[in-house]
Amino acid sequence: MKTREEFAKEMSNLGRIGILIVLSMLFAVPTIFGLYLDALPTFGEFMKAASGILVLFVPLAISEVFIYAPILGSASYITFITGNIMNLKIPIAKNAQELMDTTNGSEQSDIITTLAISVSAIVTITMLSLGVLLLVPLKPIMTSATVMTASAYVLPALFGALTVGLLKSTGEIRVKGKIKAGVIPFILLFLVNIFVFNTYDYSGMLLIIMIPLTIFFAWILFKKKQITIEVVEKKES
Amino acid sequence: MGTFFDIVNSSLLYMLVGTVIAVVIILSLLFAKKAWKRALELGYTTAQLKTVITSTIVATIVPSIAIVIGLFALAPLLGNPWPWLRLSVIGSVTYELMAADMAASSMGVALVDLPTVGIKAFVNIMFVMTVGISAGLLVLLFFGEKIQKGIGSMGKNKQSFGIVALECFMIGLLVTFMPAILTGGVVTTLTLFTSATITISMGLIVQKYKIYWLKDFILAFALFGGMASSVLWTGLFG
Repeated sequence: MKTREEFAKEMSNLGRIGILIVLSMLFAVPTIFGLYLDALPTFGEFMKAASGILVLFVPLAISEVFIYAPILGSASYITFITGNIMNLKIPIAKNAQELMDTTNGSEQSDIITTLAISVSAIVTITMLSLGVLLLVPLKPIMTSATVMTASAYVLPALFGALTVGLLKSTGEIRVKGKIKAGVIPFILLFLVNIFVFNTYDYSGMLLIIMIPLTIFFAWILFKKKQITIEVVEKKES
Repeated sequence: MGTFFDIVNSSLLYMLVGTVIAVVIILSLLFAKKAWKRALELGYTTAQLKTVITSTIVATIVPSIAIVIGLFALAPLLGNPWPWLRLSVIGSVTYELMAADMAASSMGVALVDLPTVGIKAFVNIMFVMTVGISAGLLVLLFFGEKIQKGIGSMGKNKQSFGIVALECFMIGLLVTFMPAILTGGVVTTLTLFTSATITISMGLIVQKYKIYWLKDFILAFALFGGMASSVLWTGLFG
């Protein structure tokens, strides 16, 4: 049996080769399409259209890797290749980790998460492909008021389910008092939301500030022994 | 040459997009196969892994409906194949519409008027949307292994702050989204509470009546119940 390091290296190699192939193919699509139609934009035209997005989304896309990789482990590769991270893959990862009672950062957690995310990606792609195939007959249903309303509330529904799971640790390690780390950042942002503006649309950008802030408070509380680690006997599932 | 929508729905674009999506499905299968084999080596049983797969499939369907709705929102503006690709690979339902809109307005065009300005603007938008979302993958490509090693070592010492930090990433996610959700209106708040109540109630039922198979479907039920309740709450308070 391979060691953890050897297997991680294998996953990493597969992930990197996958990224190289997918990125090349993604850029090949507009290039071939543009060449065929003789409609390739010039570099200047591209920069004019891209500048806003580059400024806004590139730092966000980079920081997402550092924000989500600790939750996803070696599943990060397939997660980032298939996207829809916060609105689908993170809850799916937490669900699988909770089901198998894995410990954060362990190989077991990594493997179970990779399995769940890969399966989830295939399901979503299949559903999207069916959506494309059945675009015409499905349109009245998918654009009905009921379905549109329900789909607008996917994030609150996800967070309702996620919050409950977060109150307990899984695996052989219990981090006691971890919720305390989020109290001050939560109050601060809550006040901003009440008195300044609703931050919902800016949540992606705010993560860059809020996660380090939460970890900073966790560090202080850990030093003050307000957050403690307990290693427990793992139950057989 | 046909109309704008004839071109953006052409068989050439379907073929190009279909090839990329097929490769991503193969990659997902490869990752799943490797994870499955390794999980068996680590001592998981086939039954446990099937539980993970069943629970994942059921829990994926509900949020995926929201992603398919994203496809229905983008298709009238950008045709069918391009949104199909963008939502299947790297993209996210929240990013794509915003990115397309920003790219179009930077060119001085409203997204709805794209058919009137010609196909070059559409190709430009394809490039811009791809570049904007690719940065994360580039970071993983060059630093993924280092990040992995870092996470591995954080989780190794079971008494170190690394363990606490790993657990606090999820807390950080929660404290970022929760204030906005809780102050985002009655319907949003009630939807959150409905989903949380379903999660807690089903957890209690599993414990009390020892219906362990039900545990695999808690997330799916909470999502479905939460989203369905939003229709009721909108009717009552929206």
